[in-house]
Amino acid sequence: MKLRIAAIAAFLLIAAVPSLAQAAGAVPVVTRSGGVTLITQQDAAAPLLHVVYVVRAGLNRQSLAQNGLAALTAQTIIATPVNGVALDDAIAAAGGSISFTVDPNDVRFEIEALPEDAGKVLALARSGLSAPAFSAATVRAARGKLIARIAENQQVALQVGLDMLSSTVATSANAGLPQFGLPAALEQLGPDDVKAFYATYYLRGGSYVSAAGRIDALPAGTLATFGETLPDGNTTAINVKLPKLTGSSRQLVAERDISAPWLIAQYPAPLVGSKDFGPMLVLASFMQRTLADMADVPGVVSETYASRAVGAVYQYENAQPDLVLYVNGGIGNPNRSFSTALSIASILATTKLEGSIDDFKAMASGDFISSTNSLEERAWLAVVYDENGQQPDYLTRTLDAISQTSAADLQRVAREYLSNPTIALVLPREDS
Amino acid sequence: MRSSVFTAVALAAMLAPLGAFAAGEPVAGSLPHGGSYTMAPDPTLASAAVDLWFRAPAAGYDNATPGISRLAATAAAAATLESGKSLVSFVRGVGGRLAINVYPDLVDVSASVPASAARRVVAAMSAAYFAPALDDDSLKIARTDVAVLSAQEHYSPDDLLHDALFAQIFSSGPAHFAPIPGDLGDLKGITLAQINAFAKRAFRSANATFALAGNVDPSLLAAVTAGTPGTPDAPIVSATAPAPADRTLTAAVTGEGLAWTGPPIADERAATALDFVADYLFRDQTGVVSKALDPTGDAYVNGQFITLHDPGVMLVTIGGSKPALVETQVLAAVSGLQQPLDAASFAAAREAFLYHLAADSQSPTEQADNLGWYSSEGNGAYAPSDAQSTYWKAARSLDPQYVASVVKKYLAHPVVVRLITATSKEPTS
Repeated sequence: MKLRIAAIAAFLLIAAVPSLAQAAGAVPVVTRSGGVTLITQQDAAAPLLHVVYVVRAGLNRQSLAQNGLAALTAQTIIATPVNGVALDDAIAAAGGSISFTVDPNDVRFEIEALPEDAGKVLALARSGLSAPAFSAATVRAARGKLIARIAENQQVALQVGLDMLSSTVATSANAGLPQFGLPAALEQLGPDDVKAFYATYYLRGGSYVSAAGRIDALPAGTLATFGETLPDGNTTAINVKLPKLTGSSRQLVAERDISAPWLIAQYPAPLVGSKDFGPMLVLASFMQRTLADMADVPGVVSETYASRAVGAVYQYENAQPDLVLYVNGGIGNPNRSFSTALSIASILATTKLEGSIDDFKAMASGDFISSTNSLEERAWLAVVYDENGQQPDYLTRTLDAISQTSAADLQRVAREYLSNPTIALVLPREDS
Repeated sequence: MRSSVFTAVALAAMLAPLGAFAAGEPVAGSLPHGGSYTMAPDPTLASAAVDLWFRAPAAGYDNATPGISRLAATAAAAATLESGKSLVSFVRGVGGRLAINVYPDLVDVSASVPASAARRVVAAMSAAYFAPALDDDSLKIARTDVAVLSAQEHYSPDDLLHDALFAQIFSSGPAHFAPIPGDLGDLKGITLAQINAFAKRAFRSANATFALAGNVDPSLLAAVTAGTPGTPDAPIVSATAPAPADRTLTAAVTGEGLAWTGPPIADERAATALDFVADYLFRDQTGVVSKALDPTGDAYVNGQFITLHDPGVMLVTIGGSKPALVETQVLAAVSGLQQPLDAASFAAAREAFLYHLAADSQSPTEQADNLGWYSSEGNGAYAPSDAQSTYWKAARSLDPQYVASVVKKYLAHPVVVRLITATSKEPTS
């Protein structure tokens, strides 16, 4: 009888706890053909299909004088008239969306659609990508949208700080330029510039088509065909070297129309797949928890403004990964929180850790898992892992890397990376 | 006997569903010891959302203790369980996040966790709420928590306007009171005994709905060991004011809000039509009014139809330094929709609306929130996160004439609340 109960209990336990393999879902499928990498993650329960289309036409394809040209070209594509309206409006009317992000190396288009509309939406996107309108009116409209987005970004202090800091780690000066350029530079760029940039860099070589969600809603071969949207060929980046600044200060300061100062510290961080990747994820969780505990009212249950006003972000998806600590000065005494955070980072590298790091490992795992909830993130992470030479089963690999992290690893990584931060201060304008 | 029954129920709950549901299709049923569940499984995800919903009046069963629902829900999350940890500590310890959302008529305890921990979270959450053991320590934490949230709300125009508009529209009942009182004096008089009595009544298992999404399946519910079978409370309604008046309030921030009473959740087509209107006019980035705002200025507008048991509320909040100008734009846009849109514009807007529905319910947390809300308001089959629900049928059935008729019927005369600061005599126009 006891054996029977034990057997039932064992059954209950085994059946109820999802294994890591189950939790990870299907492993992304990768195929390569003609310079295009196609990654698919079918999810029959998803409400949408999401496609990330990555083209090697990012910031490092523009010269310093062409600041903003990569973004202007991408914006021109989604402003291209289709059926009498801009491509993004046409796609919205067809049950989907299209947007873009300009990275140091790439431009990535995010295309999403209801399953029943996915074929139609991808066909629309393909028409805009393969034959953009370079008319003066379209480029003017695109420029206007970009300038509005720049204005919006300038009101987000953290974004201003991150933009400043990214320019300090770029391997090529052009790769550190602002994502959307600067309004004054954009005003100098016209249809001929956009047309030439498109003709030179919108080629198939090195591109990715990464899809997640209801791939089954598409006729077979649709995604492979989508990958053939652009002409064959490869492009190379423009390498722009600038002399190193010789000043001793590692502080960048900007003033914006904001109500409180923001303090941001940036440390270099390891690439995805490095032996230090897992420990850095745990370290970021440790710093996040420490900062939140310092800022928040002790013991509260709810997430408060104070806990959200501070943070630690490991930007491993960046071409030059970094760990960023930030403090929003609106919470009271930002100097105290910030200096304490920097001190903790410094002390971590030199003092032996006591106690268990299991809570921070759990937090790192939980944060990573919740970052994989959206189709956009799932499609993009598979690209990031593949670009870093890793198998694209990002979830299993990352959870394994976190699980295998020891206190000694954490300390080693703290010692290696957390020594000399670059600081960005985003301050309210004196007259604001 | 109870133990045997439990084992049988647990096994049945685990074995039956394995072939009984397909990924993406919501399933619903009864909890082992009273109450119900609804879930949307997606086995390809690594996370799970575990939400526990109750029908509970935010100001107490006699509407005399504003804030008691929030206090009780928070204290239950902070109380030490048999494991030696509180629910909130436990959830954080497995790498998850816990949020407590209190509405005038509902309480939602929401955990987002790795799927491997979902079963233990279901067990801990049901223990914390179905058999609450609140004490002075947990109440002290809850009082601090509510005080912090209350202080924050003083600087949130949207929250202040939402509460103030509801206070104008609803003359009595829980919707008349702010779920988080602005005056902490309201909380001081609430005793531990009152909170325990409230928790035992509101958080009984029979009054609960577990809403689960992500990598979940019905076998998780075998982890619910507490509770007593019984009858759930009916959806809670509040009385509407016959002629709600406009109001100007002095606050720490400025803003302006407009509200209209709408159809009940049972009138699915009309409620969906007002969701469509909110999406078409006010959705961030794409709404007609949102896009018309000066992108370099500080103006913003939020609009949503809040689906409630009876009646729903269309609510628009406006921020920035020129709220009166935006109010004019809002009223003109709403008034314009009394005339049917042309067929092509309408078809495009409806397709965009359907896409937004799906885009807004991608994550397990969003899905569980959606399933729990609509079930608790009395119409779980109408939850928009399920593309097979009656919601989608209603959305696809919308036509320009019908939407115009609903706008005419419900969106004629808004109630307006204006927030002004002590230093300003009237809102800037």
